[in-house]
Amino acid sequence: MNLQVSREDLLKQIGYRQPPQPKLLDMVDKMLALLVNLIEPRLAFKDIQGENDLPPFLIGAVLKYTGAATLGPKLENKVKDLFDEGKPAEAYILDTSGSIAITEAGGILWEKIRQDAASKGFKKGLRRTPGCRGIEIETQQWIFERLADPELGIKLTESCMMVPRKSLSFLARFGGKLIGTFSCKGCPQQRDCTLRG
Amino acid sequence: MDIIKEIYDAVMEGQVDQASSRVQQALNSKVEVNHILNRGLIAAMDVVGEKFGEGELFIPQVLWSAKAMQAGMELLRPHFSSTDRTEKGTVVIGTAKGDIHDIGKNLVAIMIEGSGFKVADLGVDVTPERFIEKAVEVKADVIAMSALLTTTMPSMGEVVSLIKAKRLPFKVIIGGAPVDQAFCQEIGADAYGMDAADGLRKIKGLLGH
Repeated sequence: MNLQVSREDLLKQIGYRQPPQPKLLDMVDKMLALLVNLIEPRLAFKDIQGENDLPPFLIGAVLKYTGAATLGPKLENKVKDLFDEGKPAEAYILDTSGSIAITEAGGILWEKIRQDAASKGFKKGLRRTPGCRGIEIETQQWIFERLADPELGIKLTESCMMVPRKSLSFLARFGGKLIGTFSCKGCPQQRDCTLRG
Repeated sequence: MDIIKEIYDAVMEGQVDQASSRVQQALNSKVEVNHILNRGLIAAMDVVGEKFGEGELFIPQVLWSAKAMQAGMELLRPHFSSTDRTEKGTVVIGTAKGDIHDIGKNLVAIMIEGSGFKVADLGVDVTPERFIEKAVEVKADVIAMSALLTTTMPSMGEVVSLIKAKRLPFKVIIGGAPVDQAFCQEIGADAYGMDAADGLRKIKGLLGH
């Protein structure tokens, strides 16, 4: 998986709309160069078949998937090192570049699932992350029991957070009637939700 | 140029080495320590905080300024007497129980420290009991908590409940993406920081600065 984070996207994410001072540009370029050697992107997904005990979001779907992606542990270890070395600006910039990269990895994962669904005759689908409206965070356990892939390298904490932190997971559904309320519209957290990317 | 203005400019521009050398120069010239601190370092950091809040400066620049301020403070610290209170107050900070996302919390901690507060950083996944224990230990003024996800927010309320049950004097400020003013009021926290700049402003307000 080839992930590209551009200088422009990174500056925009940090907040800059105008070109910043050369000192910052230099730091941004250094962190982007570092990022390339720190990420080990991996992804996995699974077509769920023949299961009755489904998370509510998947009930009634014709095609059901779980998927997850990660950048691996090196990036966050380096971010921690930079903080410990008294280089918080570098740490922040590197972490932000990782956030962009994992969002891109999520897009690639979603595209792969959509292609798989398309090969089975389904074009339109929905995906939602545990913690979103109507999907308990404990659904993470259900997802990772089915994605039991040691190569993926994602572990869950007791509170169902993913480690490495630059990881994502979701449920996806195609076809059938959605039963329940999972829409972001009307969700009290919509404005500030960190799960919507 | 006036040495205090040079110190002020060095912090504004986030020039760590410049801030150190100018503070040392001021000390060598017998400029009063409180004058260097208040008119040079803190005055500049206050403006940096305001400009950040207004969207004129961004996080990397604020972090550079905070580092410049801290570098200057390190040189000043030995010149204060043991009875001088050089810090504006003490803040215990950490992420809510179950939450391991600490980038935002780390940035806020650096900015608070860079503005002259003493910070006890408990890291991530901090239990309500641990927040209280540390706050008692360091005689904190404020407990600051962050959460990135809705699922970890409720433990913030437990901290407030413990403070009330034990009648402890700590103020509580909360922040993080899913947190808002309504949740702050719901759990009875003293303040909600919309972002790092707002959080810093509210902490100053809570302590009457």
